Amino acid sequence: MKVRYLIKFSKESEIKFVGHLDLMRTIQRMMKRSGLLVVYSKGFNPHINLSLAQPLAVGIYSSGDYLDAPFEEEIPELKVKEALNNSAPPGIKIFEVVKIKDEDNMRIFKSMAEVDAAKYKIRIKYKDTGILSKEMEALLNNKEWNIVKKSKSKEKEVDIKTMIRSIDYRTVENILIIEAIVSCGSRENLSAELLSMYIKSNTSNFDSSAFVDIQRKEMYAALGSKLVPLYKFAKMR
Amino acid sequence: MNRITDDILSKVEKPARYCGGEINSYIKDKNNIQIRYAFCFPDVYEVGMSHLGMKILYYVLNERQDTYCERVFTPWPDMEKLMREENVPLYALESKDSLKQFDFLGFTLQYEMSYTNILNMLDMAGIEIRASKRTEADPIVMFGGPCAYNPEPLFDIADFFVIGEGEDVINEILDLYNEVKEKGKEYFLKKVSGIQGVYVPSLYGVNYNEDGTINKFYPLIEGVPEKVKKRIITNFNESAYPDKFIVPYNEIVHDRIVLETFRGCTRGCRFCQAGMIYRPVREKNTDKLISHAEKLIKNTGYEEISLTSLSICDYSDIQNLVFSIVQKYEKDKVGVSLPSLRVDSFSVDLIKQIQKVRKTGLTFAPEAGTQRMRDIINKGVTEKNLMESVSSAFQAGWSTIKLYFMIGLPYETEDDIMGIAELSQKVVDEYYKIPKEVRKKGLKVNLSTSIFVPKPFTPFQWEPQIKMEDVLGKIKVLRSSIKSKLISYSWHETPVSYLEAIFARGDRRICDVLIRAFEKGAKFDGWSEYFNFDIWMSALKECGIDGDFYAYRKREYEEIFPWDFIEIGVDKAYLISESEKAKNVEVTPDCRLGCTNCGVNVNLEGKCFEGAVFN
Repeated sequence: MKVRYLIKFSKESEIKFVGHLDLMRTIQRMMKRSGLLVVYSKGFNPHINLSLAQPLAVGIYSSGDYLDAPFEEEIPELKVKEALNNSAPPGIKIFEVVKIKDEDNMRIFKSMAEVDAAKYKIRIKYKDTGILSKEMEALLNNKEWNIVKKSKSKEKEVDIKTMIRSIDYRTVENILIIEAIVSCGSRENLSAELLSMYIKSNTSNFDSSAFVDIQRKEMYAALGSKLVPLYKFAKMR
Repeated sequence: MNRITDDILSKVEKPARYCGGEINSYIKDKNNIQIRYAFCFPDVYEVGMSHLGMKILYYVLNERQDTYCERVFTPWPDMEKLMREENVPLYALESKDSLKQFDFLGFTLQYEMSYTNILNMLDMAGIEIRASKRTEADPIVMFGGPCAYNPEPLFDIADFFVIGEGEDVINEILDLYNEVKEKGKEYFLKKVSGIQGVYVPSLYGVNYNEDGTINKFYPLIEGVPEKVKKRIITNFNESAYPDKFIVPYNEIVHDRIVLETFRGCTRGCRFCQAGMIYRPVREKNTDKLISHAEKLIKNTGYEEISLTSLSICDYSDIQNLVFSIVQKYEKDKVGVSLPSLRVDSFSVDLIKQIQKVRKTGLTFAPEAGTQRMRDIINKGVTEKNLMESVSSAFQAGWSTIKLYFMIGLPYETEDDIMGIAELSQKVVDEYYKIPKEVRKKGLKVNLSTSIFVPKPFTPFQWEPQIKMEDVLGKIKVLRSSIKSKLISYSWHETPVSYLEAIFARGDRRICDVLIRAFEKGAKFDGWSEYFNFDIWMSALKECGIDGDFYAYRKREYEEIFPWDFIEIGVDKAYLISESEKAKNVEVTPDCRLGCTNCGVNVNLEGKCFEGAVFN
């Protein structure tokens, strides 16, 4: 009997520049090293059927990412966690492993489909933060945050404020630190890059040559009007 | 330690190249080691990380308690630019320390067109590129690898060269270093020249004749050996082999487990340098290889094992080895792949086994288009062999075949070129002989040609290279001879091979050309987007060097070659007799069928392959 597990893991800062496909390959090899009986796809190039909740862009790291993976047999959650941590490369850590209960009368749980929001920590370097607090206060009072969003084929203006569930900021030395929970997933998605772009273009004196450091901290599912970390949500079902 | 900031990394292509931190890389306490060794690969990360020799030596060196070996690759020009702007010296991936802080820099010489990258890497670390200008404070720079068999074009870059296989000799060198390092670099170099396989160019002098050929090559001081004899591993089955490979986060060129089944080759193809310099043949036995495979699969999580050697199907137990690995790891979905196959030694069973798990491409290398030409180069392969092999492949469900040929071989005629097209056409015809319901749809024959470069220590070392202006004519003939649309032909007509020919048989005077080209901006010459022929032509001109002298000149048997002081075990007399046989279109059989008296089993210790083939 095949059993699926939801796995919460980190993509550490030191591997933030590893792209999505390379990360997938790295995770596959980690699972192979673990010796756990994973399920392979059929065909000439068999691979492990992994699905990642929401791909991370190159340059973004995470302490709250999710994948779900099928195994050939039921294994205690702690054992899966231990086996994966023992075979993980230095840039990946496993925090939670939750067996997904797939029952006949229930909708199939797919981490990708359940995700509703994500929490990010964004650090933007400024050359001068003298008027930054004032500018931020004013921004937060604006009703709409309109920015041009570029997709493959078209550009359109969107209001991203509606997709921000909560936002906090502080400055430490010359760095603006933003913590925000924003819409994430297939229904509605605000990328952390777009959010930081909006803030950069509506404040003065940011350091344009500096790297904007973005960390994803958690991903949530919606339970009524509440947001619940995905692993807790999977446990509750 | 250098801090490589995200501000830099976020601006370059593939930043993972510069970060290190991969699983199975070594992290050691710098304070608890005596020797810091930087293994330098003069090409980009994805290329260097694919190289087996580096994996082996990284392992051997780090197995030493007293040594910390780290890795260095050439930064891609986007990264180089930022590092130079931000004053970040070239650093090793493990500790991020500048190369200047190392005791040894060991560069591997895999292809001539990587030489400018070596100079660039030294320069990026703030180290003088000329050995004669470096001081006691600088690291000792050593070179090894196949191109070290003609070390002279790099004579003033290296402090010393290692000729031959490095696994054992590297330990002797480092032991000596530990013993005498207090006495200084000059003393160490004098001492190390006494170790078999080591060549210290500063301890030798060269005189030239008026016509530019060498008159005399000689040791400058007493006690330095006149000849340098290559090193080989005598007990290859028991030689060191890593039980884990670094698994990079980003995809590299050969992203898989590599098992080295044997060294050397018995075929005696006359164009092939590897076939001569890596003699004698020595195998690992199947049990040993399977135990390597087991550990490597467990420690890497790779999904593919590639069996490697110079001609993989000559491994004496190949069927059993492939079957065993495929069977054992089928459930774990680990596949086996074989590099380019010799066309005669190919069996349906073998490919079917490989196909069972993972279908990899099939490449055949007939090298030449006619039987006459194949006899001249002693590629002991017939048209019948090739047809049988591709027929088996088509029956087993393959429909894409790659064919490799060389153009510009000695004694080549237009018929030989047209023969390439004819042979490729016959492969197409063979496909249509297979019943429709058996063969897989969509035949593709990918034909490619490269330009022959005469190499030292081969029977063709006396031969001129084909002239650049003649290459295009040959390619035209070949293109117009190709009839079928199912054959796609790709070729290289770049002048790179002219420079390869100059460096392959170059002498000390080429070193100045190299330095001049580097100063004029030459780098990544093996990459077509960076190769700049004009730089090289003006470097040659400014140094007063005639490239044709090295590339296009027919040599006499009496000439003293720049590499003649190196003993590879194979006698020069043997190479001369092979050269004569090529001229007369005579073949020399595979030495598995009987000794052909190349001399290797007399000149080097130990028996030849008779004693080393296990299975």
